Amino acid sequence: MTGPGDPTSQDPQAALITQLAQTSAIAQPDPRTRPSPVCAQPVSPPPAPPPPQRSAVDTALWRALGFFRSLALLYAIARFAVSSSHYAHRGAAIAVLFTMAVWTAWTGIVYHRTTTPRRALLSFLAADFAVGAGAVLSTDLVDTQARIQAGALTLPTVWSSAPVIAVAIALGWRGGVAAAALMGVADLVERGALSQDSVHNIVLMGLTGAAIGYVTELGRTAELTLVRAQRLEAATRERQRLARDIHDGVLQVLALVQRRGAEIGGAGRDLGRMAGEQELALRSLVHSWHEVEDGAGGDPVDLDLSALLGRLAGPRVTLSGPGAPVTLPGPVAREVAAAAAAALDNVRRHGGAGADGLGARAWILVEDEGDTVVVTVRDDGPGIPEGRLEEARSAGRLGVAHSIQGRLRDVGGRVDVVSVPGQGTEVEMRVPRLPVPRGAAPSVSALRKALR
Amino acid sequence: MESAVSGPPSVGSGTVNTQVRVMVADDHPMWRDAVARDLAEAGYDVVATAGDGEEAVRRGKAARPQVVVLDMQMPKLSGAEVTARLVAADPDVKVLVLSASGEQQDVLQAVKAGAIGYLVKSASREELLAAVERIAVGDPVFTPGLAGLVLGEFRKLALVPPGSGAGAADDTPRLTDRETEVLRLVAKGLSYKQIADRLVLSHRTVQNHVQNTLNKLQLHNRVELVRYAIAQGLDEDSE
Repeated sequence: MTGPGDPTSQDPQAALITQLAQTSAIAQPDPRTRPSPVCAQPVSPPPAPPPPQRSAVDTALWRALGFFRSLALLYAIARFAVSSSHYAHRGAAIAVLFTMAVWTAWTGIVYHRTTTPRRALLSFLAADFAVGAGAVLSTDLVDTQARIQAGALTLPTVWSSAPVIAVAIALGWRGGVAAAALMGVADLVERGALSQDSVHNIVLMGLTGAAIGYVTELGRTAELTLVRAQRLEAATRERQRLARDIHDGVLQVLALVQRRGAEIGGAGRDLGRMAGEQELALRSLVHSWHEVEDGAGGDPVDLDLSALLGRLAGPRVTLSGPGAPVTLPGPVAREVAAAAAAALDNVRRHGGAGADGLGARAWILVEDEGDTVVVTVRDDGPGIPEGRLEEARSAGRLGVAHSIQGRLRDVGGRVDVVSVPGQGTEVEMRVPRLPVPRGAAPSVSALRKALR
Repeated sequence: MESAVSGPPSVGSGTVNTQVRVMVADDHPMWRDAVARDLAEAGYDVVATAGDGEEAVRRGKAARPQVVVLDMQMPKLSGAEVTARLVAADPDVKVLVLSASGEQQDVLQAVKAGAIGYLVKSASREELLAAVERIAVGDPVFTPGLAGLVLGEFRKLALVPPGSGAGAADDTPRLTDRETEVLRLVAKGLSYKQIADRLVLSHRTVQNHVQNTLNKLQLHNRVELVRYAIAQGLDEDSE
């Protein structure tokens, strides 16, 4: 036997190596064909954008608060303009209003920032609150006591509720209520007495703080859920694309290497066997992705029996069935699949050498008869001689058959074992499909189908 | 030895070329070349190869192959669509579908459209050559997988409630008990010979039963297509 490194030899191994080397040429553009499927599709955008630094809900709320603040400032100025002649210190009042205007502009800028570290946010809220409360308290200095006693509005009027709303947005409904209470204290100090009006105002402010805080939390949670759902969907789509590419490209090449390797023999056979093992592993990995998706779909009720049995198929095991999914209630489908797996184990152990000396081959047939689902596992082993089956059964030596029978009985089905000399053994499992009880909720997949 | 097999047939001299003309369509160049080489080495005349669905239809019409080895998953046109167009252009063309597992619906569509064979891609070279040999003389290649699909399709047709389409229930094809029996055995991996032994039939009779099931399915598909076309046409007229 010539060494694989000898380029002039007609060694089949060298041929395989050349062939494999040629595959690298596939990656280069070829006008007659599209490039190999793995790199055929344009690179899709990353599955999901990184989460925004500030949620959309927050951004919208802060902008709205900035707008509210500006309007409240204009209202305060208008109120002052109407009754400015009554103020004790007009100049000082104008100075307070000017400060409020500057602060409004500054908060507007801060509200537009997309990121604020938590500590900076807390000190900003405190400063905001101090300015608001200060504006309320300044009314004592700039207005006459007579007007204040008569129940005149404070200088900032509703502008002073902006810090309360800011706290509610940032810290939730508890923060909102606490801020409203503090601002109420400032109100009471300004007024110097407990009046019906001020109590009314404080309660209103408290309600506002609580409501806005609560709605903010709700909106934030909803947005987070939505982002998560979108990310999951994007990841699912990406997985499906990868699965398609792997299926179209890598799996095909591995299958070819397996086939060629087996033909070449020698070391090539090992190569082929390894490629075959990897193909199977990759295939079941891709299948398991689908499994995960099924789980994510939130439909634990029905399972596709064909998909479950598909994992049992391989080079020595052929699965046949209708192209459409054969759905059974999850536990039933699992039992039947486990029973089929047990039957296959039995084939591997007792099936003999098979026709080609590589062990018995097996076939799984799935049939959907509407009210019954039939799964047959047949092998091409030596079969069970006539009478041997009964004998084994009476001697209690049908361990595997027992486990298969037990599983089927649990789900209301039955098993028939048929063995024709020279034609292997058939294990036929029949499971009734029980009617869905009246009033039972339709499964998610059924709903999805109906909507489609 | 090699030249005797792959020597170019003389052109225009009136000699009868007994080689079977084959086209290989697969979007994976490595696969395509390997299959084409295998077929050429076995003495077939590979008249064309194609890398996508449209190419397969175009080259198929030009090169007039007798047998088409067709991959299911190709860009531009589905395998079923390619089959339908090739069969429409040449009703005698024999289409053998090669497919990886997990594309069963596509395979079923291709078979309904006129493909008469189905082989999984993991089949060995010998299995492929045997399949092409049988396809070439018009014998359907019924792998267990295809038998399972056809069985499922007939069961589905039987479950369609009567009256769901005007008069549709009457001509819904059904399998005879014998045909069902034969198909089930094929689906369980028995060879025609084993089936013939078990049912005490001749090999030819088993083959005929299998062929009949396929014919029924393809005929039904054609009828459905015509019915659909007529319905579409009537709709257009009434507008």
